[in-house]
Amino acid sequence: MIFMDILTDALFGAMAGIGFGAISNPPVKAFKGIALLAAMGHATRTCLMQGCNMNIASASLVAALLIGWGALLVGKLMRTPMTVLYIPALLPMVPGIYAYKVVLSLLLFFHHINDASASQYMENTIANSLVTFTTIFNLAVGATLPVLINKKTAYSLTRGRKLEETKK
Amino acid sequence: MTIPEGLDNEGETDCLPSGLKEECDFLSEYATRLMGVGVHTSRVIRNTKRIGMALGLEVHISGFHRTLIFTVNEETTGKSRSFVSDIAPLPNNFRLNSELSKLSWQALDEHLEFDEIKKRYWMLVNQPSLNPWLVMLLTALANLSFCALFGGDWAARLMVFADTLAGVLLKRWLTVNGTSAYISFICCSFVASMIVCGLVCIVPTDTAEVALATSVLFLIPGVPLINGFIDIVEGHILNGFSRLTEGALLVLCIAVGLAVTISITKFTIN
Repeated sequence: MIFMDILTDALFGAMAGIGFGAISNPPVKAFKGIALLAAMGHATRTCLMQGCNMNIASASLVAALLIGWGALLVGKLMRTPMTVLYIPALLPMVPGIYAYKVVLSLLLFFHHINDASASQYMENTIANSLVTFTTIFNLAVGATLPVLINKKTAYSLTRGRKLEETKK
Repeated sequence: MTIPEGLDNEGETDCLPSGLKEECDFLSEYATRLMGVGVHTSRVIRNTKRIGMALGLEVHISGFHRTLIFTVNEETTGKSRSFVSDIAPLPNNFRLNSELSKLSWQALDEHLEFDEIKKRYWMLVNQPSLNPWLVMLLTALANLSFCALFGGDWAARLMVFADTLAGVLLKRWLTVNGTSAYISFICCSFVASMIVCGLVCIVPTDTAEVALATSVLFLIPGVPLINGFIDIVEGHILNGFSRLTEGALLVLCIAVGLAVTISITKFTIN
């Protein structure tokens, strides 16, 4: 049952990655890589959050690291820049619900500014802001870290064989 | 005061070596196109420098959110030219990101002539994008998946699928008509969430809150948000904050549209 849950999570993660990635017109050949990375990343985050009780920010960092390293390998195979692969794969993990709850809590805070509940809405605004900011930051840092560690490889993924090498 | 030869920018057409203006125009077109289609700053700078190197030019770029400042030195003559180019807002395009990056390596490794580089560039730029109807369908499926990931039942998922189709259509229509992105996001968020509120009254579901909460998530500007952080991590802090500010404003617009729906329908989110 747990295996099926993880598989379903991975499947929906892949669908979300492909769909939100499609808006940004990726190369057709990159879709397979995006689906694989999105599925892997989302399933990992869900496992860490539900299986290890890890918080969303830390789990996102680990999942993004996995996606970053995966993008390096897949990018090398497909001669595609890492960002083309890992940005769509990260999109399903952008904490959209928290992002809009930030503003929603703020609106409710002003709506109830004279009530006792105002402080609760203020707390929600701050908490949701921190979660949103930290999670997106961790996603970007996690996926970019492999680039910073392997600059030479990461910056030349789209490079074909040199002309001299081809002539030989 | 005597200005050393090549360092004066006055009457630049006279002092420029033949062809340099054309090459500068191309570098400007190449770099601003990459920035416009949503490539992070460091890659734009790297690729443009590489193209410049292939043409025997040393390129320095200062990147901002709406403009790029170039200084191009011709290595053989030592003459230079500085200029500023506007970045046109274009839809995100990862295919161009990938293909134009490849072009920069081809230019360097295969010692391509300038005319050949330009020919290949325009061929890549003029290639058609993905079928818009397919993109619309995939986006709706993606938002349906989001609803599923947040625990929505099948009725909620189908509502989100329907509202996303309508939202994407409306967004495209508003974009074609030149509506401001901020107004467009408010309208789309309002319409998408209102559709879900309407459907909730007709179709029974136990997860109406999830449907409403995920109804607008297809609008979340994930690319500028992630690119913003990448820019900051890679040291392009001003550009990073500019992208994040733009992303945050769009999120605010989404929330405004949703808030209008909630205040009209009195629907509450837990």
